[in-house]
Amino acid sequence: MFLLRRRRALPPAPLPCCRRAGSDGTAPRWDVLVIGGGHAGTEAAAAAARSGVRTLLVTHKADTIGQMSCNPSFGGIGKGHLMREVDALDGLCARICDQSGVHYKVLNRCKGPAVWGLRAQIDRKLYKENMQKEILNTPLLTVHEASVEDLLLMEPEPDRPGKCQVSGVILGDGSRIHAGSVILTTGTFLRGMVFIGLKMHPAGRLGDQPSIGLAQTLEKLGFSVGRLKTGTPPRLAKDTIDFSVLERHMADNRPVPFSFLNEAVWIKPEDQLSCYRTLTNAKVEQIIHDNLHLNNHVRETTRGPRYCPSLESKVLRFPNRIHQLWLEPEGLDSNIIYPQGMSMTLPPELQEQVIACIRGLEKAKMVQPGYGVQYDFLDPRQLSASLESRLVQRLFFAGQINGTTGYEEAAAQGVIAGINAGLRVSGKPPFIISRTEGYIGVLIDDLTTLGTNEPYRMFTSRVEFRMSLRPDNADSRLTLRGFEEAGCVSQQRYAQTSRLKAALEEAITVLKSLQFTATKWSRLIPEAPISTSRSSLTSALDILQYPEVTMELLARAIPEPLRKFAEWRELAERLKIEAVYEWHVASQQQEIEEVRRDEALQLPEDLDYFAIDASLSQEVREKLDSNRPQTIGAVSRIPGITPAAIVNLLRFVKTNRQRTEHIEHSRIGRASPEGNTFGKSKFQNSSLSCTS
Amino acid sequence: MWPGTWRKVLAGLSPVSGAAVRVVKWLYCPVGKRDTIFALSSGHGKCGVAVIRTSGPASGAALRSLTGQQELPRPRAVALRRIHDPSSAETLDRGLVIWFPGRLPGLRPADPGEFTKRAFQNGKLGLTEVEGLGDLIHAETEAQRRQALRQMEGELGQLYQRWSEELTKALAHVEAFIDFSEDDNLEEGVLSRVDAAVQTLEEEVRGHLQDGRRGEWLRGGVHVVIAGPTNAGKSSLLNLLSWSLNSPLAPRSLCLGQRPAAIVSPVAGTTRDVVESALNIGGYPVVLSDTAGLRETQDAIEREGVSRARERLQRADVVLAVLAAVDVAPEPGCLAEALRAILPPGVPARQAPCVLVLNKADLLEEGRGGALLGACGEGALPPACLLSCKTGEGVDSLLSLLGTQLEQMCGDPLAGSPSLTQARHRLHLTSCLGSLGRYHGYKSLDLVLAAEELRLARRHLGKITGRVSAEEILDIVFRDFCVGK
Repeated sequence: MFLLRRRRALPPAPLPCCRRAGSDGTAPRWDVLVIGGGHAGTEAAAAAARSGVRTLLVTHKADTIGQMSCNPSFGGIGKGHLMREVDALDGLCARICDQSGVHYKVLNRCKGPAVWGLRAQIDRKLYKENMQKEILNTPLLTVHEASVEDLLLMEPEPDRPGKCQVSGVILGDGSRIHAGSVILTTGTFLRGMVFIGLKMHPAGRLGDQPSIGLAQTLEKLGFSVGRLKTGTPPRLAKDTIDFSVLERHMADNRPVPFSFLNEAVWIKPEDQLSCYRTLTNAKVEQIIHDNLHLNNHVRETTRGPRYCPSLESKVLRFPNRIHQLWLEPEGLDSNIIYPQGMSMTLPPELQEQVIACIRGLEKAKMVQPGYGVQYDFLDPRQLSASLESRLVQRLFFAGQINGTTGYEEAAAQGVIAGINAGLRVSGKPPFIISRTEGYIGVLIDDLTTLGTNEPYRMFTSRVEFRMSLRPDNADSRLTLRGFEEAGCVSQQRYAQTSRLKAALEEAITVLKSLQFTATKWSRLIPEAPISTSRSSLTSALDILQYPEVTMELLARAIPEPLRKFAEWRELAERLKIEAVYEWHVASQQQEIEEVRRDEALQLPEDLDYFAIDASLSQEVREKLDSNRPQTIGAVSRIPGITPAAIVNLLRFVKTNRQRTEHIEHSRIGRASPEGNTFGKSKFQNSSLSCTS
Repeated sequence: MWPGTWRKVLAGLSPVSGAAVRVVKWLYCPVGKRDTIFALSSGHGKCGVAVIRTSGPASGAALRSLTGQQELPRPRAVALRRIHDPSSAETLDRGLVIWFPGRLPGLRPADPGEFTKRAFQNGKLGLTEVEGLGDLIHAETEAQRRQALRQMEGELGQLYQRWSEELTKALAHVEAFIDFSEDDNLEEGVLSRVDAAVQTLEEEVRGHLQDGRRGEWLRGGVHVVIAGPTNAGKSSLLNLLSWSLNSPLAPRSLCLGQRPAAIVSPVAGTTRDVVESALNIGGYPVVLSDTAGLRETQDAIEREGVSRARERLQRADVVLAVLAAVDVAPEPGCLAEALRAILPPGVPARQAPCVLVLNKADLLEEGRGGALLGACGEGALPPACLLSCKTGEGVDSLLSLLGTQLEQMCGDPLAGSPSLTQARHRLHLTSCLGSLGRYHGYKSLDLVLAAEELRLARRHLGKITGRVSAEEILDIVFRDFCVGK
């Protein structure tokens, strides 16, 4: 085994209780084993290690760890939200981006802070370097360079769903590594197929080998597999582009860091690079139309997304229009430009023709052609909300393999899988983020309950409680939980968040208690158009809602007790946002609690929906069986499930629970704990007897 | 029990209007902050006993205002109470009230299955209680679905559906603007088109709320006005209808027609004032009014009677135009002219439906009746029937014509609960309108808040037309805009 680097050479310690020896009699060597070093893999490995378990990351090529395989940017609307949440759980990508960006910009500045989208163009080389540095310096985390050919499997733990459990992996050289949990983050490498024009060849990313063995094993195990397609644009040589004729887009002059830990990013604002915008034209459309017969990827029947990922789909679905193309820098000293929006799969010489007829690119040199990728993904409805598979115990999946697209979506799943793989080994309950708590919760709930048939991408419109789940408050939503329940958050971050949260609460109480008449307010703050017709008292928090009012202005009018809050810049900014959404967030609270109550009504994981004696239609049974909802909340989000079906299901589960409890009671001589978990008591009890 | 009584109580509970019960079960749910919900817990349609149930923090306040008493009944004990309309203090009924105490604002109608779910959440529901509930809820929602479906075929359904589509599209376009406008090129003017669409929608919903009278009809009765020339037999018709509906099967309270309600005489112009009678026709509450015969007259009192008749006609929901069959020729032109004399253009004010009653059929020669009906059919005239107030012949066909008319207007009360549905509709449409109004206010302040108001508006409309998921919103976004990378 080639160990790249291990900071602390810890002897293999006995693993936490409740786990049996491996099939060949030796104790598993690692607690958590992560396959894949992409965005999901790195976050998963780091999160597992942070939460205190010995973690091994296995990757084809250690040098590709942290590689940004597609666009040179991170974040955006919805995706920025995910990064903030990953950061709130002490994940990596936000911090690495703060050290590697070359153009930081907050999108949606004029649309309300709930949808501000933090985004940055990232220097690929720097990102990779910084990520590798981080991974290789993470205590308890080891990196191993090898290909994984197969999974080691053994008898399942009784009383849990799953036909077997994973106990490790077999590498390409035939050697075995044992682990308590295994996380699969192999991205598009499962039976990946690259398409350029009429040519196609098996590969993951261009130049990498696909994992065929692993794909076959998963299929043999009975995982249902779907196929998706994606693509990447050609790359252009920067020094061959005429930027002088193009529209320049500058970065923000006060870059906002992604991480809650950082007050500033690494780059000086004035050193940031610019992006440029150019447009398609009728000639581009003509070339694409004329050459559809040379374009296998586009003609293929594999289901593409509803949105337009490629130039071809834009032109075909929205003809006779001009489309935007963004020219994005790949790094400070890189001569490569990434033309966002130009993803195409025409033969290379035709791609060159397309490029040459675009303004500013007339003489541009194509460094690498665009290409399409088709790959297998596993139906994420086979996973529980902890991202553990229901078919194979202790096997977790994260990232593109679950049908998502995007670095941020992958990273978000990685953190959750990493945490839960660790918790699983320690015999602790899983760490689940509800869709009322975060974008991560929405992402995972959507995937595991509804599945997907196009690469799943995060949008803010998917989030019911968008006004509560904002980028500014991700830390107060998740950091404390991450520290207390998952142990994946550092003491330093925990202390910082606790301090800020306490200050926020204190300030809001003070602002609410400062109440004056509207007449007095308009005298104190003449800048705000306060209506003096209101007879009731108005609080300072209400006044802060006015667009014209800031904490600074309030503190100038009422220095005591507001000055100290206004002087803490971050706090002052967050108070302003809290004030804007206060009323709506409070009124949405009821809805949130309703969802939470529904989510508290859990369903047994191994329910056979076709066999159960409940008044449910065949159609409903099929839907329940394929979606395998874990809670009544999830059931209610499945399209086509009627309220009557929900009640009938509840009735069945309630009957079932009483029966189970009766059996348990007579068997172990005590009542099982009362709770809202139906039918699960038998699992709980058996795991209790296992750990004690 | 008057089939509309529980509807009145439900209507009283909803912020819309009106209230009575036989048994009111006040159930307390102890967990957390939540809405107060209410629903009819017993079966729908006509039944001897109705159970109305509320749950949530405002239940106590609701009970106090419905009983008009400061004191709540002794907990878990049955009490007999007078049930008042909280707004008018009018007594609606007397009923048994049971109070299951708890803490105490805001009430909303329960979603299907919500009571059961709450009981589950609180661990309060025993197995025996749950048995059958699912089926009941199924029946209820099935009926609602069928009703919705039937309405879907009508113009009302199409209207709600169109609003729903427009609102969903408006919301999707705002969502597209939020999620994509910075990166992808959305065409110019997305938001201003949304503003215009929202404004149009507001105007339509507002107009509809002022105009949609079905709920009121079911609560207060449909005003059916008998009109026609003097001595056509209008008063006889009122009496006949009152009598013929006074069967032992019809609830007593429905019939005032124990004795002749209107004085009948061969002297033209006997009826000077408007005489009313409350009837139940095919399950629909009807207020039948007999009016003075329409003619020019020198008699001051009769003139006043005629002017009252015209005034009543203006407000009629349904007009029974009565003609003496012997006085009209079996030609479409003649019939139309006779009808115009009763209902000149613009009377009644709304386009009220009309039923043409050809009275004194017993005096017709052989074959003439058929000719008259034939002429009515040819001349695009209102539905007509032959009737003899003297023999009672033809009253069934009149009742069936009226019943059809009422059903078209009010929906079928036996196949669901139209008044509840209507009260619900009204409530949701009112809330929808409120949100649409706030959309404009928030737009300049924060687009997320504005979008939230559209979402809320959509949610309210969705309670009538069905839920729309985030995926459907995205479908529209990706259909209407070229976005994505």
